[in-house]
Amino acid sequence: MDFLVWLESTPIAVAISQSVWMYATFETIHYIGLAMLVGSIMLIDLRLLGFARSLPLPSMLGLLPWVWCGFFINVVTGSLMFIYNATSFGMNKAFWLKMTLMALAGLNALAFTVAVARTGERWLTAAETPAGIKIVATLSLALWLGVMTAGRWMAYV
Amino acid sequence: MDFLAWLQATAFATAVAETIWAYPLLETLHALGMAMLLGSLGLTNLRVLGYKSELPLLGTQQLFPLAWLGFTLNAVSGLALFASDAVYFFSSYTFRIKLVLIALAGINAVLLSHRIFREPAAGGGPGPVAKGLAAASLVFWVGAAVAGRLIAYTP
Repeated sequence: MDFLVWLESTPIAVAISQSVWMYATFETIHYIGLAMLVGSIMLIDLRLLGFARSLPLPSMLGLLPWVWCGFFINVVTGSLMFIYNATSFGMNKAFWLKMTLMALAGLNALAFTVAVARTGERWLTAAETPAGIKIVATLSLALWLGVMTAGRWMAYV
Repeated sequence: MDFLAWLQATAFATAVAETIWAYPLLETLHALGMAMLLGSLGLTNLRVLGYKSELPLLGTQQLFPLAWLGFTLNAVSGLALFASDAVYFFSSYTFRIKLVLIALAGINAVLLSHRIFREPAAGGGPGPVAKGLAAASLVFWVGAAVAGRLIAYTP
């Protein structure tokens, strides 16, 4: 709690709270970051599930830099919005649910990366992806939808 | 104005405005629809501009169901959010700008799909007009998302 109070008193947190446009700007950039992150993850996951087969899977995995770029933008803007209201967000159940779901989405993405490295040769250019990969893709869609839902709920709990 | 007042007094609009979970649920669906729309159209437009040229241009048509799903989701969730506070939203300049941007994006999409998918160029890829339309489409959709988020902060 002391740490949260300290965060909220840092010069940058004070600057955000005294500015009329900074928070709205961070929130808007966070929204664009969300579109980059979830928009590209969704395209990759849906392709893994068999949607839009005329777009080659290896090229679709080439969209991963968009995922990372969106993630980075949202870590930065999300951290700035957090410190502005640290004592409140730090006690917010929806915020901690969001962080938990993001950690799970990260582990799920790690499992996918390992699977691509180990067995990718066999299925990246095949007509059908293995059942295990489809489960990972479905989990990814569900987890990121959960992250978005929990994120929106933060403003209401 | 009478219509807007009537709209926000309907049982449905009152329920959206007063039920604790209805508004955030609709906002979440609206954000999901935005990600579907921007994800699928973003990739299609960037492909027209030459990004990831190994993707078959005509193959991007397979992303259109996702774009339509996102659009439908956002038309429905957006109407419900609008109804909950119709007089306020209608009087918002940012909301009006957002609607204009969506209308421009729609006209643009019809022109672009006609140019790219009904009269595919004989080799050589999309011409400068198609590229201009694709760039405009990106500006309109990102602009609509930005304007949408700023409605809560601007007159």
